Amino acid sequence: MEVAERVLQWVTEAGATGDLMIAEGSSLSLKARDGELEEHKVSSSQVFGIRVIKDDKAGVAYSEAADTAALRLMVDQALVNASYARTDTNEQIPDTEITLATDDALLAPTDDVTVEEKIDAVLRLERELAARDKVTNVPYNGVSDVTAAQRIFSTAGLNAVSRVRACFSQAAALVEEGDKNVMEGWGQGARRFDELDIDHIVDTAHANCLALLYGEAIPSGHYDVIFDTQCQPTMFSTFSMMFSGKAAKDGINPMRDKIGEAIGDPRLDLFDSPLMDDGFGYALFDDEGSPTARTALIAGGNLETFIHNSATAAHFGVQTTGNGARSPRSTLEVQLHQLEIGAGDADDDAVTTGEYLELTDLTGTHSGANAVAGDFSFGASGFLCRDGERIQPVRNITVAGNFYEMLNKIELIGKTRRWDMNRHAFMPPIRFSDVAISG
Amino acid sequence: MLDTPIARSVIDHALSLGADFAELFIERNQVNSISTLSSEVQAVQSGIDFGIGVRIVYGTKVLYGYTNRTENDELCRIVTELSAKDLRDPETSSASFDFSVPGDIHLAERTLTKGSEVESKVEFLLKADRTARAASNMISQTRGGCLQREQSVEIFTSEGLHASDIRNYIRASLSAIASNGSEQATGGFNDGGLVGWEIQEAIDAEKTGGEAARQALVNLSAKACPSGRMPVVIGPGFGGVIFHEACGHLLETTSVAKKASVFHDKMGELIANPVVNAVDDGTMAKEWGSINIDDEGMPTQRTQLIKDGQLTSFLADRIGAEQTGYVRTGSGRRQSYKFAPASRMRNTFIEPGEAELDDMIASIDRGIYASHMGGGSVQPGTGEFNFAVTEGYYVEKGKVQYPVKAATLISTGPAVLKEISMVGRDFALACGMCGSVSGAVPTTVGQPSLKVDDILVGGNA
Repeated sequence: MEVAERVLQWVTEAGATGDLMIAEGSSLSLKARDGELEEHKVSSSQVFGIRVIKDDKAGVAYSEAADTAALRLMVDQALVNASYARTDTNEQIPDTEITLATDDALLAPTDDVTVEEKIDAVLRLERELAARDKVTNVPYNGVSDVTAAQRIFSTAGLNAVSRVRACFSQAAALVEEGDKNVMEGWGQGARRFDELDIDHIVDTAHANCLALLYGEAIPSGHYDVIFDTQCQPTMFSTFSMMFSGKAAKDGINPMRDKIGEAIGDPRLDLFDSPLMDDGFGYALFDDEGSPTARTALIAGGNLETFIHNSATAAHFGVQTTGNGARSPRSTLEVQLHQLEIGAGDADDDAVTTGEYLELTDLTGTHSGANAVAGDFSFGASGFLCRDGERIQPVRNITVAGNFYEMLNKIELIGKTRRWDMNRHAFMPPIRFSDVAISG
Repeated sequence: MLDTPIARSVIDHALSLGADFAELFIERNQVNSISTLSSEVQAVQSGIDFGIGVRIVYGTKVLYGYTNRTENDELCRIVTELSAKDLRDPETSSASFDFSVPGDIHLAERTLTKGSEVESKVEFLLKADRTARAASNMISQTRGGCLQREQSVEIFTSEGLHASDIRNYIRASLSAIASNGSEQATGGFNDGGLVGWEIQEAIDAEKTGGEAARQALVNLSAKACPSGRMPVVIGPGFGGVIFHEACGHLLETTSVAKKASVFHDKMGELIANPVVNAVDDGTMAKEWGSINIDDEGMPTQRTQLIKDGQLTSFLADRIGAEQTGYVRTGSGRRQSYKFAPASRMRNTFIEPGEAELDDMIASIDRGIYASHMGGGSVQPGTGEFNFAVTEGYYVEKGKVQYPVKAATLISTGPAVLKEISMVGRDFALACGMCGSVSGAVPTTVGQPSLKVDDILVGGNA
């Protein structure tokens, strides 16, 4: 608090307003190899980030050093940076004099798991997966336990603190038989280490390997496709710029002129749902201290709104949606908290009737997508299915198309919704028609 | 950046707890970035990262921790915490530090320490913006960026090594959006190097803006790409990402030591078509992926990876060399003090051959000319890779027909290396960022035009 008051005092003395973000974290990560601990990593870190606004111009700077001289230099740099920025009357420090804090019992719970027990967990993870049928190697594995805290103070009187804990475990196995090989894996996240289920990760990673070991390409053509609970959120996240008020303000969001228009199948309802507390994107307030809320982005196939921070909201003459996002190193942006798609009206059996492709793995999603145009082409693997049964594993194919056009090629939306592995998306299965597959 | 007595004390403390090896990696990273949008400065950002990474090795077990603090007590506390499960009597003693200074072959002039030169960079970016917009009234938006950073590193080890280096990176870019009212397409151009802002004398704002606009307009007119297996000619420069993904990552001891690379037992064997010669070279003056020393303090070097199709070397860091028995190649790299080093690529390329681009195109009955490539990824264990075509053309009966969009190439490393049948003369390099276990590091990819006889093209036609 004392440091924050001193830094914000310098900002005020310079005739500016501002907010200071202090991010602190500590972590433990462990990896195993051939029955021994291969890597043991611990960390503690702290970074300060200041945003100043002077004469309607914003500037940011950060420092990992906490001494007075470094923090003073950081403020001076931010003021200099602001002097070069374009005038933007919409970006102001929100007039929010409030103290906010997250619930540590919910978001950063403690447990009694010792470091020795965590080491035992990663050794068991590697040992048991390596002992499974046809597994020749478990080159990628690990457990981690990260606790992060973020404090935001503003010249208007905001004092917000949030803490989160994230534990994760994952493993990928190389399975070989004859001239066939495959590497697949699985992972799990939890807020308490003792909630990680090592047996489940071993079982699922092994099953994923065996299921795809004999996968082959299928003939090129257009297929009905269901993306699994991991891949479907990946598709929506890859093109999430379509919901960004910041990208709309910047003139790069292809949906920037389509508010109120039909952009998808009339059965499609999509929300940003930060208040579902069993998701890992749960948030009561954003990085400006604005309260969050469930926001309908697509309702009945119509684009309802973009996600906004205070600056983009002011630009468009609307209210912030509580999606302001900033790190100590970044300018003010927007980001989704948790994607939710409304339950459809199709039974599971109906969604999986007839022949379709279930895609369980997508590669190249960081490079093979163009969010401005909506075009994508990804490597893929999965299963050719008929009436809900996997009849052939499929590998070495690509899936390509235009995501924005795909939103109008929805055949069915299922009733049963599930969280993805990272618990950031809660969706039912969607069956898309006429998707281009190359094999 | 760290007092020598403190470095000595921390390393001695680690060895007193029985460690075989101890290392301190001290880093100060100064950053300045400028972004433009809609012909205006959007933001100027700056900052300083500072921290110390502590690596302790017991046998083949690596213990790693980091902190932002420089006090002896804090660093010794990290060592004690890391070593708690491995305590044993001391097995070795530390050597005296050797303070000899290696030469700097990447001397920079206009560095961040001397000034961030915001006005000059803004002038460059806005000139590129004007050039792009002047190319066509269909250019609806541009976004420019100039990132400069100055990374100072200092390394102490229990073997007596003391090394330091200053790395000045700069990269400028412009992306453009072309729109015809109903569709949008993108294009971009960037260049960079291990130099200061004097790079503006070598890179051209008009070329930057013109290339971004040209590519956006080409892509706006592109048709859906045919799909299926076919021959592909991959253009020079960033086309080298195919070798980076298909082979380079599989030659890092990071995956070789774990036998997680399909090439782990292929040393000396013919793994590529004999027309293929490939190199990873950290010594190229002022290239984006170059270094004077690696992040373990070893002078970098030029490493011949493949000679006439035969595998001749892996890329080995300290731990990788111990685990595999192959010699270190000055390839230990990390994004920052927050990462333990791992074997990584530097400037990686396929050497020029004798073929002509026109002959490659003429040899295709039905295929693709991928003149510009995007990024990609690889799964080392199986060698399966993918990468994106950012500008491509359909080729039929030896002639380029029309531009295509949304194409991805997928294959496996072993397969594609044997399918390279023609290697051109038009060699070029291009800079990128490579992500792996030790974070994102600057790497250069490169190649001349080359022809792959058979690869799966993922299109939407």
